[in-house]
Amino acid sequence: MPGYLVYLLTRLGQFALVVFIGINIAFIVTHATPIDPVEQSIAAATQFGSTSPEAIALMRQSLKELYGLEGDLAHQYAAFWSRILVGNFGPSLSAFPTPVSVLIGRALPWTVSLLVVSTVLTWVMGNLLGGLAGYFHRSRALRLAGILAMAFHPIPYYIVAFLLLIVFGHVWPILPISGGSSMNMTQEWSWAFVGSVVSHAILPVASLALVGLGGWFMGMRALVSNVVTEDYVTYAELGGVARRRILAAYVMRNALMPQVTGLAMSLGAIFNGAIITEQVFGYPGIGTLLVSAVHAGDYSLVLGITTVSIVAVSIAVLLIDLLYPLLDPRVRAR
Amino acid sequence: MWRTLRDLLRFNRQFAAGIVLLGIVAAFSCLSFFSPYPPNDSFVVPPDVPPSWAYPMGTTSRGQDLFWLLSFAIRNTLLFGMVVAILSRALALVIGLVAGYSGGLVDRALMSINDTFIVIPLFPILVLFYFVMRDHMSWGLLALMMACLGWAYDARLIRSVALSLRTREFTQTGIFSGMSTRQILVEEHLPYVLPILFSTTMNNINWSIGLEVTLSVLGFTDINTPTIGVLIYWANQHTALVAGIWWWLFFPVLLVVMTFIGLFLLAVSMNEHIDPRSRLGRS
Amino acid sequence: MRVWRDIALLMVLALGATGAQAQGTISDLPRKETLIVENPEGTIKNAGWFNIWAINAGGQSTGLHQLGMDTFWYIDPQRGVDGVWDNSLASEKPIYNADFTEMTVKLRKGIFWSDGVEFSSADVLFTIQTHMKTNGLRWSAPIQVNVADVAAPDDSTIVFKLKKPNSRFHALFTVRWNAMWMMPKHIFEKAGDPLKFAFDPPVTLGAYTLKSYDPNGKWFIWQKREDWKRTTVARFGEPGPKYVAYVDPGPPDKRVIAQLNHDLDIIHDVSPEGMFTLAKQSKSSHGWFAGFPYAHPDPTLPAVVFNTQNEMFKNRDVRWALALLIDIKAVSMASYRGAATISAIGVPPTGSAPEVYHAPLEAWLKDFEIDTGKSKVKPYDPMIGKQIADMLRPSMGEQIPTDANEIAKSFGRGWWKPNPKAAQELLERAGYAKRGDKWYMPDGKPFVIKLMVEGDGRPVMTRAGSMITQQWRQFGIDASTVVAQGSMADRRAAGDFEAMITWSVETWGGHPDLSFFLDSWHSQFVAAAGKPQPPRNWQRWSNAELDKIIEQVRQTGFDDPKGLELGREYVKLVVREMPTIPLMSYNVFTVMDDTYWTGYPNAATAPYTDPVPNWANTKYMMVRIKAKPQ
Repeated sequence: MPGYLVYLLTRLGQFALVVFIGINIAFIVTHATPIDPVEQSIAAATQFGSTSPEAIALMRQSLKELYGLEGDLAHQYAAFWSRILVGNFGPSLSAFPTPVSVLIGRALPWTVSLLVVSTVLTWVMGNLLGGLAGYFHRSRALRLAGILAMAFHPIPYYIVAFLLLIVFGHVWPILPISGGSSMNMTQEWSWAFVGSVVSHAILPVASLALVGLGGWFMGMRALVSNVVTEDYVTYAELGGVARRRILAAYVMRNALMPQVTGLAMSLGAIFNGAIITEQVFGYPGIGTLLVSAVHAGDYSLVLGITTVSIVAVSIAVLLIDLLYPLLDPRVRAR
Repeated sequence: MWRTLRDLLRFNRQFAAGIVLLGIVAAFSCLSFFSPYPPNDSFVVPPDVPPSWAYPMGTTSRGQDLFWLLSFAIRNTLLFGMVVAILSRALALVIGLVAGYSGGLVDRALMSINDTFIVIPLFPILVLFYFVMRDHMSWGLLALMMACLGWAYDARLIRSVALSLRTREFTQTGIFSGMSTRQILVEEHLPYVLPILFSTTMNNINWSIGLEVTLSVLGFTDINTPTIGVLIYWANQHTALVAGIWWWLFFPVLLVVMTFIGLFLLAVSMNEHIDPRSRLGRS
Repeated sequence: MRVWRDIALLMVLALGATGAQAQGTISDLPRKETLIVENPEGTIKNAGWFNIWAINAGGQSTGLHQLGMDTFWYIDPQRGVDGVWDNSLASEKPIYNADFTEMTVKLRKGIFWSDGVEFSSADVLFTIQTHMKTNGLRWSAPIQVNVADVAAPDDSTIVFKLKKPNSRFHALFTVRWNAMWMMPKHIFEKAGDPLKFAFDPPVTLGAYTLKSYDPNGKWFIWQKREDWKRTTVARFGEPGPKYVAYVDPGPPDKRVIAQLNHDLDIIHDVSPEGMFTLAKQSKSSHGWFAGFPYAHPDPTLPAVVFNTQNEMFKNRDVRWALALLIDIKAVSMASYRGAATISAIGVPPTGSAPEVYHAPLEAWLKDFEIDTGKSKVKPYDPMIGKQIADMLRPSMGEQIPTDANEIAKSFGRGWWKPNPKAAQELLERAGYAKRGDKWYMPDGKPFVIKLMVEGDGRPVMTRAGSMITQQWRQFGIDASTVVAQGSMADRRAAGDFEAMITWSVETWGGHPDLSFFLDSWHSQFVAAAGKPQPPRNWQRWSNAELDKIIEQVRQTGFDDPKGLELGREYVKLVVREMPTIPLMSYNVFTVMDDTYWTGYPNAATAPYTDPVPNWANTKYMMVRIKAKPQ
């Protein structure tokens, strides 16, 4: 086991490095935005109402002071790191003075639950079908399933989502098409609220699953059709091992490795939010927050969301690497 | 080379179907060179006409003949997808194989770079890129940017395969029989990686087209260059779906689906050709 | 395959279980007592923030400023419930001294906050003093620039001493979309730093209080106050809806679907095509006009705004040439599908403006002449509005008016007739030259124009921009559009554009005074190139003649008829100089559904206010809206 321990430590070091570089790149990129949060606030405050030009200069100055935007980039960089190490992203600039962490905390549960459910569901169904299709490649039903999964896969996600919306929200209006739960409901653990949340999530989950299925399906089918031709599978078949057992223990298990990698990364990537899903279904979450933050030039918020996302994906990658040697004995820990 | 192609066309129905589908799409995109209208001009034909003999795909609410407009759009989109795919595949393949085979320090260094690219969230980068580029934003630049961001995920996939290949017997045999690293990678490992590469190529084309559409739907795009995404953007601006102008979205989507199924069929049949063992399994 | 059967069964069960719930979007409020309104701000990032005096921290048109806030006066963008001017918290109009250095306000009595505390001059005094001593509140800057001192001699009198003469100081407290709102002293004096106080729940002066809201910012529900009689709108009767929900219904397609399902009573704005779909498919949906063009013309004037500090557009001849290359009929079709109200002059064709400006100036416009050096042309074509109506009649049928007056009201009057020959002569006089089929600037470089548009935030304006560049392109100018998206406000303020589709003219609507925007056009406020420009002179245009007009307006009372004469002088000046090319009014496709409610404002029988629901002026709509007998 000491070999594994060394591996663990080097891997942890690499993790820290990647996170550090990632956050730095995010800092540079977000601060390169030409959108100035002060100008955005001024535009929002003066958009329709009366304004006197003399007052604007005064307003600009006091907002700069308020948002703490005075001082150069190096100063802001230092302030950013000193805050972030204690988990504080500072105040949002487009919802001043509310802390960024409060805004993220409000949106994150929605995104995480929606995407974890749809990603896992899609992954399981896609791999199951893909594996079966790769193994029983003469089954007509599975071929049909393959063609269907494949046909949905390339349709731009926006269209699939919108078609679902039209069909189940308009033509045959049985499902809610907007929001995360019904109006005038308190967010609490009650049957009514949970039921409402579930019914609101059906269309978003279905849209993500329809489009995502094909990818896993194809990957798994390719992998399985590869494994099927391996000698040990042929031996097993000749040796009269039950096909069900061959499929489960010999074929799927070995073909699944790269797919597990894929799953872990998709799970890590959910902190980016499903921007279009949220847009189409008016679903609350981190994606909408991100888009509006970008529009408002709120780099505190953009940086907060990107940092959370960077850390989450890094952890996912780290976990894969740490588990890989344990799952696939052929890979020796180095 | 030509003989294999001929054989494939003759004996492999999937390959033939794929070629036909892609051929139709490619031929259609070539029609753009003969379009009677410049792609950006609007109100050159009556708006909102459903598909008919005069306008085989109907006209848009902007008074454009969808047939000709779409030929421009699919051309740009195909080019876009291909540029992104080719560039990012090359990166993914080289980095994945080398990292997986070499292991040790090389692997760790390459994977650190790789992981940094994986963990940086795409969307804010692309959007900020759009704002920084402003008036100079074009699909060419976007393609380049996306190729740089789109390889890391697949490099990791390829590496994981290469990693398990490294411990296989034939690799050891190859090393003992004095094959160079390049030889082992290209001759022994590449065939195992190719199916994944083809499957990721399609995924990648799909991903880049999908992302292009996403950025367009959200409006972060150069609306002066027609692509499938920009077409959808304009259709949305005119609420085409609820207004009943279904053809404005139907035909672009149809073409994208055709492209993708064509690519898929090609990949499957080529996969079988490259890896003859799976051909035996077909019986 | 048992798995499949189970999965299918599960899905059916799930559908069945949710199907029952799906119908009502409001869980336990009676639909018949609830008015559901679109809030165009979308999803509110920071939903639990109701301190409207902190800039940009939470939502504004979530019902907060329409139903919860109040201030001294309102000017209606249309006719008003009882005239254009309404004394709301004030009991009479502002009282200025002779040299406009002092303004006295008399307050209405018997008005109460929603928590039962009586409103008085102490609240006003507190609001003003808080803004004087705190930097960074929404109205801190204008108060600090103007007010030297404020006093409350008694419970219902407030006296402002101004730092310098200002005949329009009351505009700060006069609602046109919004204005400076009054703070409850008894809440804010205990709240500490007014910049960091969330004001949740809000204590209101309006006839409604907050009932509940979504922490994720999708909906806000307001409930009529038990004591609505102790609020300012009570003078006009009881507000109809017991509950008002302001929601984010999503993109335009979904708004249309929601209203077709009768889940959204007022749509703020949709695309023209969405409007036509609703008009066709839903008998209960209607706009401001009963038929085409449906939309409400807001007192806002979209225009091609040149950056006049850019060398390219410094010459008036160039600006005029570009105007003469625009075919407004095509622009109207491309942008609004013909549902636009065009205006050739620098005043939005809505509210009282057509009577005060457009009609009286028609004769002058007909005679207006441009001398290109080679020929003299009269560019104004008074028949364009009629031509647009004629063009639409074959496809739209009887809903297109035939009466000249109706046409002028719906589609506008005349505009500039496209005249490529005159444009060519003007450009050549300015030193531009055509070689081959391309135009070149005096310095020999190709004449390239990037016209900035906002993108999908303002789809109709984006379409107008695309059409205009197409027309310029056809003439040989290398024009294209640039989508600015979120960076629009920055680039506009920074002058980082060549030309753009936006507006630098906004008016009261109902009241013909132009100072609302005109004062900011004085050359004293024009920033040097590269420096940020304060609103609204986005064209960065300075003109000595205009300065003179503005200075005279400053010394003229708000209701003085002399102001109208000066307004017409301004109109003539900008026609000659063409610093912006005015296109049309900002028509908003506000769609109202009669299924549960009636009494919405409309152009023909009830032009009592602007129906566009994010205007704070829509508080008057609530007293006219009544439940429809089922």
